[in-house]
Formats: sequence, C-alpha cells, structure tokens
Amino acid sequence: MKPKTFNIIFFTVLALCAVFTIAHFIYDVNAYQHCSIIYFIAKELW
Amino acid sequence: MKGKNILLKQLIAITMVVVIFAMINLSIYMLVTNRLANNFSDTSQAKMVDVEKYLPHNPDSDLVRIDSSLKLSDNLPVLDGAAALLPVYAAFVDNVYPKGSVTFEGGKFSDDNFYGENFAKNSKMQYKNTVRGYQAIVDGTTDILFCASPSSEQVQYAKDNGIELKYVPIGKEAFVFFVNKNNPVDNLTAEQIRKIYSCEYKNWKEVGGADRTINPVTRLEGSGSQSAMNAFMGDTEYGIKSPFAVTGASIGFSFRYYMDSVVGNEDVKMLSLNGVYPSKENIENDTYPVIAQFFAIYRADNENENIPVLIDWILSDEGQKIIEDTGYVRIN
Repeated sequence: MKPKTFNIIFFTVLALCAVFTIAHFIYDVNAYQHCSIIYFIAKELW
Repeated sequence: MKGKNILLKQLIAITMVVVIFAMINLSIYMLVTNRLANNFSDTSQAKMVDVEKYLPHNPDSDLVRIDSSLKLSDNLPVLDGAAALLPVYAAFVDNVYPKGSVTFEGGKFSDDNFYGENFAKNSKMQYKNTVRGYQAIVDGTTDILFCASPSSEQVQYAKDNGIELKYVPIGKEAFVFFVNKNNPVDNLTAEQIRKIYSCEYKNWKEVGGADRTINPVTRLEGSGSQSAMNAFMGDTEYGIKSPFAVTGASIGFSFRYYMDSVVGNEDVKMLSLNGVYPSKENIENDTYPVIAQFFAIYRADNENENIPVLIDWILSDEGQKIIEDTGYVRIN
C-alpha cells in the first residue's frame, strides 16, 4: 500500500488501541475506588 | 516482489501494534480488572452484605431468634446501621417489632438496584450503611443507628447541624488485618503495620515475607473500618504508595465478624497482631490488641420514649445474647 495510506491506517489503529487502553485504565482507577477489598485481595495472583 | 515485501512489513507493523496493546490490556486485566467487583454490580453487593439473608419476620432468614420479653407495638424507633451490624439490628427488629413494621417499595424486597435494598420510607428498618447512616441519624430520618465509632467528619457534621448524638456501647469486635491466603506472612506487629501504611516498608520481605511489593489498601473515608484504621494509625501519617503497588500483594483491614461470617471468603486470611490471633476468645479476654466497640447511636433531642426502652433491652441478657449468638462479643 502507498506510504500515505499506510500512515493513515497505522496511526488510526495506534490511536484506537491507545484510546482503548486509556479507557481500560480509567475504568480500573474508578472501579478500584468502589470495589470490594476482600474480593480484590482474595483474587490476588500468587 | 519489492512491493510485496513492503506490504508484508506494513502489515507486520500494524499487527505488532495491535498485539502489543492487546498484551498490555491483557496484563492489566489479569493483574487488576479481573479482581475489581464494582459496588454497582450484583457480585459486589453480595460481597458487602446479602440483605435478603437478614430480613426480619421471614422464617428463612439467618437471624438469631429468642423468646423476647420485650414486644413493642407503636412508636417504633427506625433502626439503621452498618453492613457488618445488619444481622444484629435485623434480629432486634425480628424479636421485638411486630410483623408489618418492615416494608418495601413495591411491596416486595428487591436488591436489583444501586444500594442492594428497597426498604420503604415508612419502614422501621433501613439499611443505609455507615456513611449515609450517620447523615440519616443527624437529619432525623433514623432513630437509632448501629455503627462503629464515627469519623471526625461525621462528628463535625453533627456539630455543624447543632445535633448532640448519644453513643451507647452495645458490643465488642476485633479490628483485623487480612491478606491473601497464599501470602506466607501470618503475623505482624502494630508498628510494622503502621510502617506499611506510612509506606516506610514497601516490600513484604522487609517484614519476613515474599519478595513482592506491598499494596496497603484503604477504605472509603467515613466508613466504619476506615475510621477505626485512622484511630489505629494515631499520629502516623499515611504514605503515598506507587501507582504500580496495586499489582503487588495487598493488605487490607476490616472487622472480624464481617470478614468471618458476613463475607466468609476462604481465599483471604486474618493476621495475628503482636502474636495474638483475632479469635472470639482473644476478644473476650482482651488479649487481642485492637478491640473496637460498636454503638447504638441516637439524637439526644429525640423524644421517642421507646428508644431508651429498646436500648435497655439491648443491654440486658436477652439483647446481649442476640449479639453473642450472632457472632460478636457482648459488652459486659
């Protein structure tokens, strides 16, 4: 594909992935403040 | 051929971006998201308290029942309280109040909503938990609130509104610290815990545990357990933990009965404090170092004549038996 087309697709995909990750992070920060601590600690990975 | 190579490289570059972000998100999910049960969900509601298990006048409820000598029929004080004390004050209602005194919006109990209950406004039993419960007692919509010690903000809220609250201790409970059951640490000293929460200790190996970051978890400000923790910390300031500590091994705090009986999660364990395990016996004989009282709280200007009658009964052998049989420790 042409460099211009590639750049559009590449940066669109990059932006979408970044937005998704940021949204995931924001959800976690918000949910952490309201979550059940006992449940959170019970499901810890060891 | 050259064009095909370029196309292949371009597709690999795009795929790599997707794969890298997918791995990042999967890691976050495994380490954090998967462990978060939001209070709005049914899962988390059940983890706080399953109100339906403790509804008065329901033969299937998990409440202590005695042959009470006190039966009230009118001027019934509205009872409300903390999640951990719901089984206690629901048992008071069950044993002392007449059938029909607990009512629901729509006529039938439902927990399919934000707060996990639908008590009607005229119901003599409510469940607002600690933070909203303290507001309700000051605002006058609740007559007796069953809670642990108030936070300084809650004391101030009452003062700001010109309300004097009376606190009558009715039972005892251990304030406990807990970790995941696979955490090799079983005992900490009070000083070690204060250093963990002040972030002086940041790794479990500093207190004889595994080489993992410590995630000291706090609670909602104004909740009973957070107020108890603030008292435990005394003059020691809370530290600021790294945002990445959330992926480490956590330590939390709560009250023994709530941990043991209301939630009953077998994947967490309570820690001994200064070498003493928070068993019921060690609370009774006062050897466990951090014992908290819980209270019946009412407004000093509340003229409902049944408030002192009910509190006297709670402090009698009958009321204390309900507290003890529920799983707490009697005050006297």
